[in-house]
Amino acid sequence: MMLAGSIWQRELVEFAQRRRALIIKLAFPLLVGIPLVTAAPPFYAGLSLTMLIAIIGTLGAGAVLTRERQTGLDLRYRTLPVTPGRLLIERLSTSASIDLLQVTPVLLLIGLRHPSQFAWWPALLLSTAAVLLLGNLIGAVASTLSDSPGEVMLYVFIPLLPLLYLSGVFTPLSQPVLLVISRLLPFSYLHESLLGALAGQPNLLPWETLLGSFGFLVGAAGLTGRLGRLVTESD
Amino acid sequence: MKVNTASEPSLLAATGLTRTYRGGKGVFDISLKLASGEVLGLMGPNGSGKSTLLRVLATAASPTAGRVSWFGNPDPRLPSVRRRLGVMLDQAAHFDKMTGYQNAWFFARQFGLAPEHARDRLEELFRWSGLWEARDQLVGEYSLGMKRKLNLVEALVHRPSILLLDEPTLALDYRAELDLIERLQLLSLTGTAVLLATNDVHLAERICDRVIFLHRGRAIREGHVPELLTELAGTKEVQLQMNSPIPLESLRSLPAVEAANVDGDTVHIVLARGANPAQVLSVLNGTADLVSNMRVRRPNLGDLFLKLTGEALPVARR
Repeated sequence: MMLAGSIWQRELVEFAQRRRALIIKLAFPLLVGIPLVTAAPPFYAGLSLTMLIAIIGTLGAGAVLTRERQTGLDLRYRTLPVTPGRLLIERLSTSASIDLLQVTPVLLLIGLRHPSQFAWWPALLLSTAAVLLLGNLIGAVASTLSDSPGEVMLYVFIPLLPLLYLSGVFTPLSQPVLLVISRLLPFSYLHESLLGALAGQPNLLPWETLLGSFGFLVGAAGLTGRLGRLVTESD
Repeated sequence: MKVNTASEPSLLAATGLTRTYRGGKGVFDISLKLASGEVLGLMGPNGSGKSTLLRVLATAASPTAGRVSWFGNPDPRLPSVRRRLGVMLDQAAHFDKMTGYQNAWFFARQFGLAPEHARDRLEELFRWSGLWEARDQLVGEYSLGMKRKLNLVEALVHRPSILLLDEPTLALDYRAELDLIERLQLLSLTGTAVLLATNDVHLAERICDRVIFLHRGRAIREGHVPELLTELAGTKEVQLQMNSPIPLESLRSLPAVEAANVDGDTVHIVLARGANPAQVLSVLNGTADLVSNMRVRRPNLGDLFLKLTGEALPVARR
């Protein structure tokens, strides 16, 4: 029997014990990813995979936190001897790591299909991690406004779709103002790194994408700590 | 309400504590102190604010106004404060996809127990609670009573200085209830302070040193249990089980009746000192066949609550 003494271990143990959910979670991105990576033009594959990764990130934690509010588990977490910031960082970073595990087969497939694009791999990994952590944070904040997991979906899609548009994911951006805005959003770096890794035509260089993604990852971690009380103590 | 002025240093103290929710419900201007080894009961009907108050004192909710201090510290988020609290909330919430033992292990380790101590303490508590055989079963398959027992195990495992228990006997069988009472008495003797939110007057009379009556979010009375019971000396409680409703106003207007209320098909009547139980039957005006059963018994804390508020405490469920 697997025993978990820390918050991140507990999340992993529960994930590993839910075998059916584990198989579905790992198989679903691959089912979507195989035709995109092998047959679709890079722009459409990049668009779809950016959306897929953003959705996986935002829905995971949001739905779980809403369910915990309904069952009273949130109150039990509140009485644990850990600060709200640490609690949220530990929970969301574990959830984002599980999400990263979920999309890893797709990332590996991209690497296998386009081995010559290896210069983009570090940026792809980092931008995926940053979007997943930020997505989890958006989902967690949305859970404070929601009474059901279905409502969380609504609240995360309302900001997510315009943000993806402003990131240049749906259509290439040409206006300078929109280009500047897109660089202030993490999804643009994920989209750029996917375009690069899929042998498409990115606007940024690998190191620029890597740097931007690193900044968003660090920023997401800091913001998660700051929002600990808002998320974990909301009624 | 008055702050208890007992001379022992308080492990837990609240002054003017208010916690409100949308719609105006909550608890208002509560002051209390809890000393080492003391057992304090919070009593009141459903919706009186017991669980809200206990949540604030257990650091699961923040007060809207007022001050609370734990071990002299006003910060509820300090890990060093929370490590010394053992909490059982009203909802038996667990990680349902994990076993009972996995759940308890997680909480034991979170509250600072080393693995070898966690193993020993959990075995002792799982055996004590009767959950040892079901330790490897998923909590989602547990009955409510088993989940409540697991909550108790998790609250007790790290030997907290203050135990905050919300309806701890709810869904427990009689044997488990007796075991719990015995353990709480023992813990109290060794210095653990216990705060119980309960409707169970028998439990409160048996183990509480003091009780606070809550009514519509406010503390309406506080006192040591023997003193409170003295106020009822000489009175009696009459319980009439009715076949059909009777007008309570006519009962209340009788000089022999101090308070009357109805709970389901049972009318609870607190008789004044020296009054004869037969006097209440006069109200029935020759229709005594409306009564299917009549009991006269020694009054308890529930009758004092009825006398103070005109409302009956709900009968404790098992």
